[in-house]
Amino acid sequence: MTMLNIENLSAEVGGKTILNGLSLSINAGEIHAIMGPNGAGKSTLAYTLGGRPGYEVTGGSVRFLGEDLLAKEPHERAAAGLFLGFQYPVEIPGVSNVQFLRSALNAQRVARGQAELSGGDFLRLARAQADALGLAQDMLKRPVNVGFSGGEKKRNEMVQMGIIDPRLAILDETDSGLDIDALRVVGHGINTIMRKPDRAVLLITHYQRLLDYVKPDFVHVLAGGRIVRSGGAELALELEREGYGALAA
Amino acid sequence: MNGVLDLPSTHDEAWRWSDLSGLPALAGARPGGRAPTGELWIGCGGPRLLFIDGAYRPEESDPGPVTVGPAEAGAGDHPLGRLAGHQGWRLQLARDRGPAATIEIVHVATGGPAHVAAEIVMDEDAQASLVETFAGEGWHNVARKITLGRAARLGIARRVLGGGFASLTDTASLAAGASLDIATLAAGSGDSRLDTRLTLEGGGAYGEAGGALLARGAQRHDANAVLRHAAAGGTSRQLWRSVADDRATCAVAARVEVARDAQKTDAEQSLKGLLLARTATINAKPELEIFADDVKCAHGATVGELDRNALFYLASRGVPPVEAKALLTRAFVADALARIGDEAVRAAFLADAEAWLGA
Ligand SMILES: Nc1ncnc2c1ncn2[C@@H]1O[C@H](COP(=O)(O)OP(=O)(O)OP(=O)(O)O)[C@@H](O)[C@H]1O
Ligand SMILES: [Mg+2]
Repeated sequence: MTMLNIENLSAEVGGKTILNGLSLSINAGEIHAIMGPNGAGKSTLAYTLGGRPGYEVTGGSVRFLGEDLLAKEPHERAAAGLFLGFQYPVEIPGVSNVQFLRSALNAQRVARGQAELSGGDFLRLARAQADALGLAQDMLKRPVNVGFSGGEKKRNEMVQMGIIDPRLAILDETDSGLDIDALRVVGHGINTIMRKPDRAVLLITHYQRLLDYVKPDFVHVLAGGRIVRSGGAELALELEREGYGALAA
Repeated sequence: MNGVLDLPSTHDEAWRWSDLSGLPALAGARPGGRAPTGELWIGCGGPRLLFIDGAYRPEESDPGPVTVGPAEAGAGDHPLGRLAGHQGWRLQLARDRGPAATIEIVHVATGGPAHVAAEIVMDEDAQASLVETFAGEGWHNVARKITLGRAARLGIARRVLGGGFASLTDTASLAAGASLDIATLAAGSGDSRLDTRLTLEGGGAYGEAGGALLARGAQRHDANAVLRHAAAGGTSRQLWRSVADDRATCAVAARVEVARDAQKTDAEQSLKGLLLARTATINAKPELEIFADDVKCAHGATVGELDRNALFYLASRGVPPVEAKALLTRAFVADALARIGDEAVRAAFLADAEAWLGA
């Protein structure tokens, strides 16, 4: 089943065209990796799919689980099953992680016609996910990402993903800022939460090391605002050996 | 009240942010007289007093140490405070005395004027906490004089929930080591004018005045606080959070005065404003007048909008825009209510702020 189908997508940021006719199709059960040079438009792709204000779609279409993704508001995209792991998770002073995630999960449940989770049930779920990803319990009570180290912020993104349990996760450089042990824990977390027949992942990364833990079915190279090459897991190894320069040929 | 009201005009600098144009009509209106009060009680388990349209209701009150009758409100020539009259309530606590639980006073206005004078006199080491609720539709006009003896401690939390207009004028003097904290939440649909003047007369006293002002539509809140350090070693805190939506206005003028002898003064002011619409207005004005040389005075004033990155982050997790706005706004005002000591009172105030935000 096709989960995400991006056709000929173009988008501008600040009046500048960044995505330029990008096409990509992801089926349920698949893990895709996108690699590409700095400034290629990888984060722009993630934000455009998430509906971030200021990221203006100028052409093309995106269908997610059979629906027009671009017609939805950002919170509706989340409720439809899309999760964005941020390259730079946002700090929110004065709002605790627990409060934030409970509002998020319950809003999604309500949007899907499910009952809200009680405080107790939510806490049990949050604690289990924090444990699975090695995030200290007391960080659940702290304001969202405030004073978290780079690695803690990334773990927190994965805890959020575990709690929300999305259909498709777009993870923007979730591996950057992680130490070697954290990388293994996070990689294991992604596999546990997302490697299922009805789920899919789009991993944006610069390095092979995350792909050692989360083995991609497909690897794509994004350059100049479009996918310029696609292949299997071996493409990542080739890129690591030879760099992006060789692609120009 | 009869006759013509003599009110300051907006040309007067101290009154330029207040719109008093509705007061003559409210002053002359005939109050409805009855109002439901059930949900206005927080239920602190201590003394409680009910005033409707400025008149005491003994049958629904349990005044404890508070006496009802003449009170010296000490408003001087304050244009609104002087109109509050000389009848209301009085709390006098002898040395080391204090009610075990928070005193709760509910004021309801039913369409007309509600004038109340109040006086608090606390001797050495006396302690009390007080929560006041102003509700209904009308003009609440309260003038109060507070005199704290050595090391006396008083905490006041008050919330303005109704429509109409609330003018609350406080004048306080603190002896050595005394502590006074006045926190105000404006979370109703009417306007307010708050005047708070605290003087730290004795050494080592602590004074705090602050609060959260929430305004939408055409509402106006105008808070004016003066913390005067007259003796050495005093500490003062002024923490105000203003939120304005639509065409509403919040103005906070917070002033610190440090007399020549008030060395080692430690004064902080934090005035922050959050504009929920570009058409709203927030004016945050910190003022310092310092005549001593060895003092620590920190002040900050900022006015901004909700953090767009945070709004998108919340949306990306599924939180709808209205809820996301409310969550961030609540976090913004929570600081100003965090220091309310009585947990039930603090929770009630946070719930009021949340109800106002529509979360
Ligand atoms: N607000 C903006 N205004 C103008 N240009 C922008 C804006 N935001 C991003 N860009 C530009 O868009 C291009 C793509 O940025 P993007 O963040 O998508 O790259 P990336 O592939 O994620 O890079 P990296 O690997 O460094 O994370 C860059 O050239 C960047 O400078
Ligand atoms: Mg990027």
